[in-house]
Amino acid sequence: MKNIMISGLMVLLLAPALFSQELTGEDIILKVNELFNPQTSYSKSEMTIVTTSGSKRTFLSESWSKNEGEKNLVRYLEPRRVKGQAILMLNNADDIWSYFPRTQRVRKLATHAKNQKMQGSDFSYEDMGSGDAFITDFSPKRLKDEKMEGHDCYKLELTRKQDSDLSYSRLILWVVKESYVPVVIDYYDEDDPTLWLKRLVQSDIRLIDNIPTAMRVVMYNKNDNTQTEIELLEVKYNVPLNDDMFTERSLKK
Amino acid sequence: MKKWILVLVFLSFGITALSAQERVELFGYFESQIMGTEIKSDFYQLYTNKLRVDLKSSISENITFAANFDYSTYYGKTKWNILDFLTLSITSTVPQGKESFYIFPFSNRSFLDNAYIKRAFKNFDLTVGKQQISLGTGYVWNPMDVFNIKDPVDPTYEQPGHNAVRFDVLLQSKYTLTALYSPEDTWRNSAKLIQFKGRISHFDYSLIAIEKLWRFHDYAQFDTTNMSFLEMPEQRQLLGASTAGELLGLGAWAEYGYNKMEYSKDFYELVVGTDYTFDFQTYIMVEYYRNTLGRTDYEQYNLNDWMRLFANEQKAISRDQIYGFIQHPVTDFLNLGISSIHSISDNSLALVPTLNYSLSENMDVMAYLNFNFGKEGTAYSKLSGNGGLLRARVYF
Repeated sequence: MKNIMISGLMVLLLAPALFSQELTGEDIILKVNELFNPQTSYSKSEMTIVTTSGSKRTFLSESWSKNEGEKNLVRYLEPRRVKGQAILMLNNADDIWSYFPRTQRVRKLATHAKNQKMQGSDFSYEDMGSGDAFITDFSPKRLKDEKMEGHDCYKLELTRKQDSDLSYSRLILWVVKESYVPVVIDYYDEDDPTLWLKRLVQSDIRLIDNIPTAMRVVMYNKNDNTQTEIELLEVKYNVPLNDDMFTERSLKK
Repeated sequence: MKKWILVLVFLSFGITALSAQERVELFGYFESQIMGTEIKSDFYQLYTNKLRVDLKSSISENITFAANFDYSTYYGKTKWNILDFLTLSITSTVPQGKESFYIFPFSNRSFLDNAYIKRAFKNFDLTVGKQQISLGTGYVWNPMDVFNIKDPVDPTYEQPGHNAVRFDVLLQSKYTLTALYSPEDTWRNSAKLIQFKGRISHFDYSLIAIEKLWRFHDYAQFDTTNMSFLEMPEQRQLLGASTAGELLGLGAWAEYGYNKMEYSKDFYELVVGTDYTFDFQTYIMVEYYRNTLGRTDYEQYNLNDWMRLFANEQKAISRDQIYGFIQHPVTDFLNLGISSIHSISDNSLALVPTLNYSLSENMDVMAYLNFNFGKEGTAYSKLSGNGGLLRARVYF
């Protein structure tokens, strides 16, 4: 859904002072989308999956993003079992390739693969790399403001557009008024808009390169009673990235 | 003795390189597996231990050296008589007194599987040495791949390295030209490959031309000088194409290879496949494979057909086959699945239930069973032996 999560980034710019009463749902989501998608970014993150039995698996990865999240590359560093595996997502994750170093094969994945869990986590490929899907695939509606996670928030409902093929029928976002960081996002089933599937919670917001960034992101899976946490270890914004970085050649490096 | 020298050379090199380079990685895995098969109402077991040690060193920003050393030991039933899996009508054609030639031994072995240097230039990569060559978009079968043959029961297992010099030229971000030369004793016997890869809309495609010597054997004749089956090499020229993308929301791929043979009849191979992942995470895949080198009637199968199949000289014995696979993640760490391989030409079927479990971050357990349901003499006949495999792998 948000390429920024790939790099695990929750971003914010200082917005022009506007009175909240004047903002529509569209105004707010445009601002959120802008903050989510810096021109380029690099991050190193640790993803920890926690199962219902309490078992844990930890993955260390690096990721690069360009063109406001339109291009993404993720490469796994740890554990040894997946070291060197890489995923390239272009066109807002409409084109996905995965690379397996043991067989040195690159496999093109169809968009249905976006439904698959990344390394068994509670994040799907779609959650990790859909660029500006907030504005291209959903229609926003502003609901009554609420307090969430200790912040005064705008509450938004995003309803999937008819021509969208995303896997969620609607999203509910709680966006912090002073920073436009969506601290909580609820995801609802593709076919049943009343069926709540997952909740994303963002915290530990720090200013990185003058951009407020959530250093900790947790996805709670309501159906499976599992959770996946992404902790950012290193983040850089607006780093110079060549287009060659987002090719099959780079995938195999 | 030779293998220990190899081990020592490899380790010495690794340790030396480790001390000399800051950016050297030493990794790999240890794999222990047991395979069991029922043959003529007896059940036999083969145990395998495999140690794979990988070395990767970034000598400079643009130069990479990579190598891996494999050491495998076998025990249990280490000699398998191929004739045990064949019908009387086939075994009766074996020349008298030559039965021992049809025993395939599993001997302990150690070897350098891959060892290559890769130099990245601005617009192309040059790779020299023993390296994996992966071609085509098919999951189980790859008509374009004249270097490797996958095991349909375990198609994602890594393939061996091949000696080659390879250029990968980046024409634009969407286009790549690959030229590869795999040397043999003469230029004529060496493999040459040229491949163009590109993208149209959401589809990847490739065009390929390969010339390679195919080292067929006649398994009913013997080379008494070398005490082996008679080799009947001939030139194979392949023209192929492949694509992978999406149609109507389904993953779709196709691969084709036309083979012009020097002496024997030309043939072609074709693969068409599709896959889909449901919202509830269940994954399904179907792949159809045609190989006109295969027979349309199982009564036509002869000793050479079977032996070439077992010796990995050809990919299939029957002309048309269809592979199906369904898998579901039962938990975050456990995947259960079942694959089926149906030989349409002789109406035989193999079912392979599979289990993959992530026991810890760096340990996997994989198991499968193999049940055959075909008539005697067919590609997946009961005579082929029902069995299974249990494999544990630890990464380091």
